[in-house]
Amino acid sequence: MIGQIIKKQALLLIRNPVQLLLLIGLPIILILILGNALGSMMNGDSSGLKVKLALIEHQPENEQVENFLASIDNPKGTKVEQSDVTNIAPIQTLKSILTNDELKGVIDVREVPFSEKQAVLDDNTYTAVIEIPRKFTHDFLSYTIFGEGNKPKLQLYENEQQQIGAGVIRSLLEDLQRQYTLASFLQEKEIDQQVLAVETALLNNNQQSINQKNPVTSKGYYTIGMAVMTVLYIAATIGSLAFMEKRIFVFNRIIIGNMSRWVYFTGILLSGMIFGCLHLGIIFSFAWITFGVSWPNIMALLLVTFAFSIAVGGIAVLLTAISYRLHSETVTNFFSGIVVSLMALMGGSFYPIGDNSTFIQTLGNLTPNGAGMSAYLSILRGDNISAISSNILFLCLFGMAMILIAASTFPKRGEAV
Amino acid sequence: MLELVDLTKRFKQQYAVKNLNMFIEKGEIIGLLGPNGAGKSTAISMMSSLVEPTAGDVRFNNNSILKKPAQLRKVTGIVPQEIALYNDLTAEENLQFFGRIYRLKGAELKRRMDEVLDLIGLKDRRKDIVKKYSGGMKRRLNIGVALLHDPELIIMDEPTVGIDPQSRNYILETVKRLNAERNITVLYTSHYMEEVEFLCDRIYIMDKGNLIASGTKDDIKRILSAEKTISIKADRLNEAFIKEIKEHPLVNNIQVEEKEITIMVAKEVNIFSTLIKMAEDASLELSSVAIKTPTLEDVFLHLTGRALRD
Ligand SMILES: Nc1ncnc2c1ncn2[C@@H]1O[C@H](COP(=O)(O)OP(=O)(O)OP(=O)(O)O)[C@@H](O)[C@H]1O
Ligand SMILES: [Mg+2]
Repeated sequence: MIGQIIKKQALLLIRNPVQLLLLIGLPIILILILGNALGSMMNGDSSGLKVKLALIEHQPENEQVENFLASIDNPKGTKVEQSDVTNIAPIQTLKSILTNDELKGVIDVREVPFSEKQAVLDDNTYTAVIEIPRKFTHDFLSYTIFGEGNKPKLQLYENEQQQIGAGVIRSLLEDLQRQYTLASFLQEKEIDQQVLAVETALLNNNQQSINQKNPVTSKGYYTIGMAVMTVLYIAATIGSLAFMEKRIFVFNRIIIGNMSRWVYFTGILLSGMIFGCLHLGIIFSFAWITFGVSWPNIMALLLVTFAFSIAVGGIAVLLTAISYRLHSETVTNFFSGIVVSLMALMGGSFYPIGDNSTFIQTLGNLTPNGAGMSAYLSILRGDNISAISSNILFLCLFGMAMILIAASTFPKRGEAV
Repeated sequence: MLELVDLTKRFKQQYAVKNLNMFIEKGEIIGLLGPNGAGKSTAISMMSSLVEPTAGDVRFNNNSILKKPAQLRKVTGIVPQEIALYNDLTAEENLQFFGRIYRLKGAELKRRMDEVLDLIGLKDRRKDIVKKYSGGMKRRLNIGVALLHDPELIIMDEPTVGIDPQSRNYILETVKRLNAERNITVLYTSHYMEEVEFLCDRIYIMDKGNLIASGTKDDIKRILSAEKTISIKADRLNEAFIKEIKEHPLVNNIQVEEKEITIMVAKEVNIFSTLIKMAEDASLELSSVAIKTPTLEDVFLHLTGRALRD
């Protein structure tokens, strides 16, 4: 019996391909637009920052290294291995940092001959210019290994109009310098660098699993934002399909067929839940395949989706019950026209509105879409189920409350005309 | 089989149905007549257990249906005044869905669907979406859905509204056949006199929520036994003539159409010569003046002073 109602509801949805396409196509288009356009504003996504850096070398480094090795035939009997020297060659190290995977998308490094220095300095598209003086590496090696001579200096020119980018370069250089200072200090005190290197590696790894875990990309963020928003339209669609059944008197036929109105009610509830789940499933799968938004914990994903679908089903029956009671579809139209957008904004579907205010965040989590969104984001970041249990509980309670209100509003026997 | 006892429905201060008493015996075709707003649909909603009456009772095989409607629902088919079908589904899908609501399934459901589609003449259009049907075809399917579960009683609320004469005749013939061949009891609601005259054994006439006449066709026509109906025809009626007839003391009721005036006068009155003189005075050329056998339309006119259809 209930199955018949759900099956017929599915048939009605399928018979309106335009509406169906809109329901599923809309979120996907929005993910594309928002994911690309607003991506640069989001935390955890660096694609907005672009740094163009010019490197001017007066003398190739390997030439200097060879010169250095040649010049240390005898001194003080210190044994110097070629590989050690190459390992600490500063320019090579700098270049490998600048071009490693994490910075590749951000920093665009151009090696520029000295003759073009002025042109590059005048070119406003460059964020910074690093000029490496003649014998820099040679002097650096002498200073670091034997403590001879003065510490050589790099020349950094910053573009004042691109302060953030220039700041990134500056702090990179400062970091590098600190590491070298530390290394030479350790060498002085004859502490095994290897030990420390391992420790640092451990430290780095740990930091990753505590703070960053899986950073959420803008595509991931908007996949969730749009999915939790547009699934509310599914609730509205189910509600208006149900009201259509009253408007065209099919509901009366169902009652005369001696089907209990509570069977019908349950059918609407389950339709909301099932089609809500399907909707979420389709969008998440699509995002997984096309944008690579993958879920580390499928169980948690299913659990949140189930809890969320109770809320969606609850909204669907509530809209149905109120429109049946008022003989009018106004509530459903108001819901999909205005309420959904407001709740989506509060819940953070468009941008992380709650990031700067705990009050707004709390408020956002009191909307079903907001609670769903928080939970999904946590899962995407790699949190485990216990971190989202309050969101799940809220979704279930919210759904139950909707169902109860709907049941008490739904016209009782003999009231429908 | 079905009995209405002082059935009353009040919306706010207005009575849609007031103290309606009615009975239907097995195998009968009963007509329920009344103009717009008479309360026919409201009465049907109550007797089909959709709406609870304000007062009174509906008894099916001597049991009140107000608390226990299941028995009635199981054997009754309702054809609503509105076309209550899913426009986006095919005829077959509609029948399938409502069949399942009536707990038919499998081969039984399929057999019933075939039978119904055959009966309403939509066999070759069964796979078409209802949206693409003509008005008459939708009406037929609207009836078909009510016949799916092989009901003993069908209640039809103006099943022929707004359709072409051909579909209308088809429907009337079908109803008659169902009654004759399967002894299905029918309550037929309409504001077309001809339909009710053609189909029904007994007739109830309602107006403004009240029952104003009931009985067999002959019973009802006998209401007019003290009067006679005269039809006056002319190519061009003029106002002066109409005004004079209206003001004539012997004329009880008058109904004016484009080329015809129908009046009622007491049986013993001879008004012919007067009419002809009035026509001359109004310089009107009459094409005919004749005594008509009374119709239900005339009965309604007699009882309410109004035409059934405005
Ligand atoms: N739900 C309702 N609320 C208030 N008034 C109603 C309601 N349903 C019907 N009425 C009123 O009751 C009266 C009878 O209506 P009903 O629909 O029963 O007439 P009907 O005989 O079926 O007319 P028609 O031939 O136009 O179908 C009308 O005056 C109508 O306005
Ligand atoms: Mg009606």
